Amino acid sequence: MVLNFVTMKKIKYSLLKTIDITGLTFLDPVVRLCYGEEPQVQLKKIGQWIIVPLIAVFVALFVIYDGFIVDTFKTKSGKLPTSSKIYSSYQAIDQLHDDELAKEKAYNLSGEEREVELKAVEEKISSVAKALELAGQAVASQQEVTKASIASKVAPIQAEYEALKESIKVAATARAEELELFSQSMTPGDESAAEKLLELVRADDAQDTLDREKRNLIKEKISVTLGEKSLDLEEIKAEETYFSERLAFLKTYKTLLSTENKSLIIDEKKGRISAYEQELTTLTGADALKKAKSIVKQESVISKKEESEYAGSKTIWYQVKRSVLCVFTGFFLGSFLAIPIGIFCGLNKTFMAMMTPFIAIFKPVSPIVWLPIILILVMGAFPNPDKHPFMEFLGELPLIGVYKINPAFIASAITVALCSLWATMANTALGVASIDKDHMNVARVLKLGFFARLFKIIIPSSLPLIFAGLRISLGVGWMVLIAAELLSSSEGIGKFVFDEFNNGGSDSLAKMVVVVFIVGIIGLILDRIMVIFQRLVSFEGAPATI
Amino acid sequence: MSFLELKDVDVSFGPPTNRVDILKDINLSVEENEFVAVIGFSGSGKSTLMNLLSGLQLPVKGESSFKGKAIKEPGPELGMMFQNYSLLPWLSVGDNVKLAINRVFPTLTKAEVHEKMLHYVKMVKLDHAVDKKPHELSGGMRQRASLSRTLSLDPEVLLLDEPLSALDALTRSELQDQILNIWENDKRTVVMITNDVDEAVLMADRIVPLTMGPGATLSKGFVVNMPRPRDRHTLNDEPEFMRLKSEITAFMLGLNKESKELKSDVKVTMPDVQPRDFSLPIATPRFSHLQSKHISPKKK
Repeated sequence: MVLNFVTMKKIKYSLLKTIDITGLTFLDPVVRLCYGEEPQVQLKKIGQWIIVPLIAVFVALFVIYDGFIVDTFKTKSGKLPTSSKIYSSYQAIDQLHDDELAKEKAYNLSGEEREVELKAVEEKISSVAKALELAGQAVASQQEVTKASIASKVAPIQAEYEALKESIKVAATARAEELELFSQSMTPGDESAAEKLLELVRADDAQDTLDREKRNLIKEKISVTLGEKSLDLEEIKAEETYFSERLAFLKTYKTLLSTENKSLIIDEKKGRISAYEQELTTLTGADALKKAKSIVKQESVISKKEESEYAGSKTIWYQVKRSVLCVFTGFFLGSFLAIPIGIFCGLNKTFMAMMTPFIAIFKPVSPIVWLPIILILVMGAFPNPDKHPFMEFLGELPLIGVYKINPAFIASAITVALCSLWATMANTALGVASIDKDHMNVARVLKLGFFARLFKIIIPSSLPLIFAGLRISLGVGWMVLIAAELLSSSEGIGKFVFDEFNNGGSDSLAKMVVVVFIVGIIGLILDRIMVIFQRLVSFEGAPATI
Repeated sequence: MSFLELKDVDVSFGPPTNRVDILKDINLSVEENEFVAVIGFSGSGKSTLMNLLSGLQLPVKGESSFKGKAIKEPGPELGMMFQNYSLLPWLSVGDNVKLAINRVFPTLTKAEVHEKMLHYVKMVKLDHAVDKKPHELSGGMRQRASLSRTLSLDPEVLLLDEPLSALDALTRSELQDQILNIWENDKRTVVMITNDVDEAVLMADRIVPLTMGPGATLSKGFVVNMPRPRDRHTLNDEPEFMRLKSEITAFMLGLNKESKELKSDVKVTMPDVQPRDFSLPIATPRFSHLQSKHISPKKK
């Protein structure tokens, strides 16, 4: 019992320490509350740091955004997406990812498993097709209903319009006749009559304009009524779209299990080869040579097919992973440059003076300027990227090979490096320059050599500031990367956004908003990781973060 | 030629047109195995003097020498113990000491280094805190860790820059005993800076006062002719101790007065301001009983 109590306490303190290091301080009162420590204080803190933020999110999303903003702003492709629509687009994006994975699996299935799966898919297809048919019928009938209701709404307005048109016509004719009469009754030289005619014609013109406006008003009313969308219909239509999409997927899935299946194709080719081989034994001369050549050709086709992988479209999670890989590549590249330069800047005032113009001029340059330049340079370095030994080497690496590193990726990474290294460089220089003089005196008394001084005193002492810089760099790099990917069309989150922008589909905007959240959450995770590192290398009295 | 020597040394700071002399005409010679205490007021340049002896700072004029050779740069043979501990905060106490040992004895194996480190840490009774980081230690423990690191350099001269000034009285006397103990068991030359006359008399063979800065200089020393080991409890009754103490104190106070007189060339006439009377009106009946209460206890 006593031991239990002690271990519980230990767990509590290690939990609290973890929370402190990771900076997730909002969890602190929850842990303390679980241990029954000052419940009232903890509840107050929970209210302040968990409930209030949640309420703020709720209000912003469901009240302000869904309630006001969505109705106020209109875009070319309709209203802004509501939060539920954004969520369903997220599900659609995620579904696409699962589908691609399933397709890849289907492509590689063979033997009995394939047959079992094929049967299951056929059953599914028939059931989905049935559901689609039902949904189609429902849509058709609902369309009828909607049409009828709209027609009934439009009819009175239309009648009103006709009546107005008629009355306007009558009035206009009457006025025309009046003018005609007046003009004929005029005597030449009568100035007042001429003036009166002019006045009458003006009045007639004004009346015409007024009438036209009246008519247009009603016309617009009609078109608005015609364009009214029935919510029921929308819902049923969405259902129909869902089923038709599912059906399309299942059909592709089926072809991947049957006609386009890897093992089936290979088997078929193998069968052909054995047939050819039999034929070969019966042939002589040119015919035999031809057969033998075609056998060899088929064999090479088989070996290629065996190595081949399913080539599907890139899904969001693949792109997210590639973006993270790219940002870390750029980040490490930048840090690899920035930390040594920063250290030398901090150690040597002359070197700092030498570097200052470069830092001052290149630091504010936008990634949008760097990228095209870098892209041209990288493309120049790899004129034929598919055959370049470096690219082939990268493509064969485990884990990384999947992401198919290309010049666009390298250019994006270098852009990230160029834009993000400044914060690390400045912080490293500051950290090295502000080493406690006493610590340097210790190094002098111990007569430490340059490298011992560097690794035993200078670097450990400036690590907290270096990591503060690295944290800023990673944040900057993540922001820069999305823009770089968008510009270089390197496969990644930026490209996903740009593709959606170019698609201009009805749910493109919603998908882009989903990306906003994905980018934000990943950025947050990266930042937290750096905070943890920063906390781990900090020591008491370490220089403050900037 | 003595063991450690400063000869006509000047130290000054600032541009030539506006130079401030910190130390002027410093002459100090320390014999081997001697314990010298330098005593002075704060701000008189004691730490600068220590930096000179350790080689962290070079004299502007004159020369500093150790075993007959000019001191050009700091080194482990002149073991300096810094006033503000100077422990590396990212290393544990053990690692701080090991850093020094690795430097001075580069041929030792890891196990030997560890053993040596434990020896020096035990010497200052810190073996329970070997794995603690400096910020987890109290001021006295940090001071001892710093001492342990300095001792681990196996220096020929121990330079102690106000090693005990930041400590409370109890820790202070404990550490004084430790330093004395180490010095007595393992004779070596010690130069210690202090601002405490009692401490200086208790520990040193010779006490050298540093006059007030700027342009401070060392005046004639006082030799402490008292047998060792000196017992701090009976010390107060010894006439020699009393004599030295009063003599040195009087000298130091004289220095203070002198410097004040030196500085009082410019006289500022103070305005004739009288303090206002904020005392309570006694006649008020409401307060009268309160006041009587305050004053009355003597009558009881």
